[in-house]
Amino acid sequence: MSRSRIGWALALLAAPALAAAQAEIVSRAPDSVSVTIYRDLFALVTETRTVDLPAEAVTLSFDGVVETLIPASAVVGDLGRELQERNYDYDQLAPAGLLRRSIGREVVLSRVMPGGGRVVQTRATVAAADSHGVTLRTADGLEALQCSGLPERLTFEEIPGDLRPEPRLSVRLAAGTAGRRTIKLSYIAHGFTWTSDYVAMLDPAGKSMDLTGWVTLRNLTHATLRQAQVQVVAGNLNLIDVKRGGSSTFGDTADFGDARELQDTRELGLWGMEEDAADTSDLEFLRGCYPLALPKPPVPRPARDWRAGASGYGDELEEIVVTGMRSSVLSPENLADYHLYRVPWPTDLNARQTKQAVFLQKPRVRVERFYALKFWADEHGIGLDAKPIAPAVMLSFRNEKARGLGEPLPAGMVRVFERAPEGTLFVGESSLGDKSVGVPFELEIGRALDLAIELQFDRAPDDVPDDGAHYAGFRFSIHSAKQRAIPLEIRQRYEEDTAHGEIIHANRRPTRKSGAYIWRFDVPPGSVDTLSYTWRLADPGPRK
Amino acid sequence: MHRIFTYLLAALPVTALAADAAADRDISLTIYNKDIALVEHVRPLNVGAGMQRIEFAGVSALIVPETVSFQAPNLELIEQNFDYDLLTPDKLMEKAVGSTVRIVRVNPATGAETSENAEVLSTEGGTVLRIGSRIEVLRADNLPTRVVFDKVPENLRAQPTLSVLVNARAPVTETARLAYLTHGLNWSADYVVVFDEPRGTSQLQGWITLRNTSGTTFTNARAQLVAGDVNLANSEDQWWQAWQTRHDARARRTAGTEPNGRPRLGDYYVYPIAQRTTVANNQTKQVSFVEAGEIKTSKGYELTFYGFASNEEPQSAEVRVRFSNSKAAGLGDALPSGVVRVYSRDARGQPQFIGEDHIGHTSAGSELALKIGDAFDVTVQPTLDKTTAISKRSNEYEMSYLLRNARAQPVTVTLRQDGLWRQNSIQKESIKGRRTDADSFAWDIPVPANGEATLTFTLRQGW
Repeated sequence: MSRSRIGWALALLAAPALAAAQAEIVSRAPDSVSVTIYRDLFALVTETRTVDLPAEAVTLSFDGVVETLIPASAVVGDLGRELQERNYDYDQLAPAGLLRRSIGREVVLSRVMPGGGRVVQTRATVAAADSHGVTLRTADGLEALQCSGLPERLTFEEIPGDLRPEPRLSVRLAAGTAGRRTIKLSYIAHGFTWTSDYVAMLDPAGKSMDLTGWVTLRNLTHATLRQAQVQVVAGNLNLIDVKRGGSSTFGDTADFGDARELQDTRELGLWGMEEDAADTSDLEFLRGCYPLALPKPPVPRPARDWRAGASGYGDELEEIVVTGMRSSVLSPENLADYHLYRVPWPTDLNARQTKQAVFLQKPRVRVERFYALKFWADEHGIGLDAKPIAPAVMLSFRNEKARGLGEPLPAGMVRVFERAPEGTLFVGESSLGDKSVGVPFELEIGRALDLAIELQFDRAPDDVPDDGAHYAGFRFSIHSAKQRAIPLEIRQRYEEDTAHGEIIHANRRPTRKSGAYIWRFDVPPGSVDTLSYTWRLADPGPRK
Repeated sequence: MHRIFTYLLAALPVTALAADAAADRDISLTIYNKDIALVEHVRPLNVGAGMQRIEFAGVSALIVPETVSFQAPNLELIEQNFDYDLLTPDKLMEKAVGSTVRIVRVNPATGAETSENAEVLSTEGGTVLRIGSRIEVLRADNLPTRVVFDKVPENLRAQPTLSVLVNARAPVTETARLAYLTHGLNWSADYVVVFDEPRGTSQLQGWITLRNTSGTTFTNARAQLVAGDVNLANSEDQWWQAWQTRHDARARRTAGTEPNGRPRLGDYYVYPIAQRTTVANNQTKQVSFVEAGEIKTSKGYELTFYGFASNEEPQSAEVRVRFSNSKAAGLGDALPSGVVRVYSRDARGQPQFIGEDHIGHTSAGSELALKIGDAFDVTVQPTLDKTTAISKRSNEYEMSYLLRNARAQPVTVTLRQDGLWRQNSIQKESIKGRRTDADSFAWDIPVPANGEATLTFTLRQGW
């Protein structure tokens, strides 16, 4: 199926002796397209196109590419002949470009006169046009456009120069064998992203949960990709800033999930096409005038509140959830050191669309629900105050098959619900980093009710006796109004300069794990329990 | 923006403009990769006798005017001007202060026009006019009022314009050379590397990417690109250059010493573009300059730790793709500075993007280790087990690093403890490591498939 057309490019080159008119073929649209979406606000688009190449040297242009492409990232393959150069022209047929290119050319100036709406048309030459306004030369003399207070408009007789309705990617090919070829065109384009979200449904006993993972795809561009093969990649890629020739619009530490950054990206003007065409910026182009007593009427600019709305992208994004996709489970596979999830069938990815699909469904994942109090201490103080403290509600699991999981978990927000006799309760949410198989992790999902901890010092932290060491005597009183025994963990972190400390006179023995002393015990229902210990920090300690 | 270079024209007897020789007989571009380029136009001139001004249209709008050189053996150069006081409605009115303009009022009820002359008195915060004996503020009534100027003030131009004032003793037909430096023409290299991990090879294709944002189209130009860090004095660029060099040093492990056949210009490499080419305004042009099909390539995991701390969260190891641009490894060419994009084939054989890194100018025979991303499934979790004060001037640290590998293949992770103080030494270690330099040690730790490994060591350092 050929979508190409042979035309002849106009020889617009100024040195006719050197410029041979070269055949131009335009490939209108891809036959099929594959989109790989990354979390860093870009996608790799791979298109398959069919073209009929003549035997002579030819320029092959590609229409219908995603407008936000990074030209340097383009790769054209399977051409079967020498590629002499690849060009990306973005001198656009936008009002600003049109006016700039019309300097010295004749245009028609139309004015609507008051008192009946008579239209007066005058021939004029564009004397100057830039972001500070447009100056015209008419038979009367020089005038500025749209400064008189009359409705004024310009009509152009032709498109000057090589302005195009949209940026165009093209390749110049050497002569070769004529015939039909199926070629591959791939490039990186901005404005696509995906996130993962998890729904965890806890059983009332807090021993297991049903875990569902959702992929949310967002196409923030104005391009519509029909029947695309879509995949997403979970991984942190090293990316170089676009200003240094790379692919990232916001440096190496991209937090793509944050709407604020999306907004910053837009404000930096890196979204290219967003502001073009009939957008306000080009109307402003015409607004430059000589000083007037009255302030210029402000050009209305639609308010963009990226934070509004459930998605965080405001109402500018058409929030479309394709419920039909909700039943599908994306199939995972390895890609280098990342994980790739493939949407199992081709799907339309429309402009400004959001789509969701399930990538993980794991019933009865074993979890442990416990309560935790975490704090740090050093010779200067304690990272806690002695008021009653509500410990955190924690969920811990190990990402293992034996415990009902054992799948890579891309970073995302986990929303925890609980099945209760009265219905389903929302228990809390917590963000999760990338978790590979075999990694233990825990989520802090809320604060405990009916459980309070008070801290008193048996020995003040500034007690420094003759041996020069620092001593701190901790006494935690745990007040539980719970109906059953609950597991509690108290963790005191130590750092480089406190790692030589020791626990003495403890009523319960601690363990050490991940840079903390840990006391783990069950608090009986309706009681007051106690943990007491003395922490000794010898002097001299190591210098930091 | 509104500077005017010496403009003595009004004072001199000048004949009509002799040349607006828009057509270049030849044009050549020498483009450096620091947003600077040398442009040389060769233009035929037909000049009558006497003093005259020659305007050059079609020069770069981002010209550095103080670098212009004009050569025409039979013409006497009086002065060079670069005017970029641009014609805007605002400027037009400003320059009209003290002179007369025509005011055309439009009757809002009938559309009838009435015209009168007005003197412009001021343009500060509004235009003040004297019409006959009345003083008025332009359009204070907000009624439609056109302002008609009779001519463009001499110094205002639609586009930045380069002109020379010359004196010819007799009419001559001359070939003039005009050379200058300009911004807005830049190039970099872009590389596509398709890494075939199972076979341990990669394909590399290098592209020269030329970007023209100079505002001007250069038609049928001869172009050559110069790779090398040209020093640009007192520029922001100097700072960037230093920063970039430091960053790129991390990707290059050893500097190569192999010669190659590329043409050189002083200390720089020159990449000529074989055919004449049109470099259009707002165009990105790419030309392939190096290609290699079978480069020996390996992958490695690395992670560097500074200081001693515990972390509850495992950290992902960096993935590095390592290859050499030596002849023996299958490449044998210098690589000018640019971004390397690395691809790997997915289960269906389709290349997928897996990360990118920036390299500096890399001589042939260098070892490169490109950071492409973080391994999802290879992680390191550090725990500081104990610190001990050994003396008043030294500490001992007991560290354990838990390495996890969720991949189906065994991996080796190079772990580096960097930024150490003086008199550092390893007291004990579970795996034999090596000193990498005065303030760092490294260990190569094998981690079995779907398994774990632990490195523990005791390190002593002083101050």
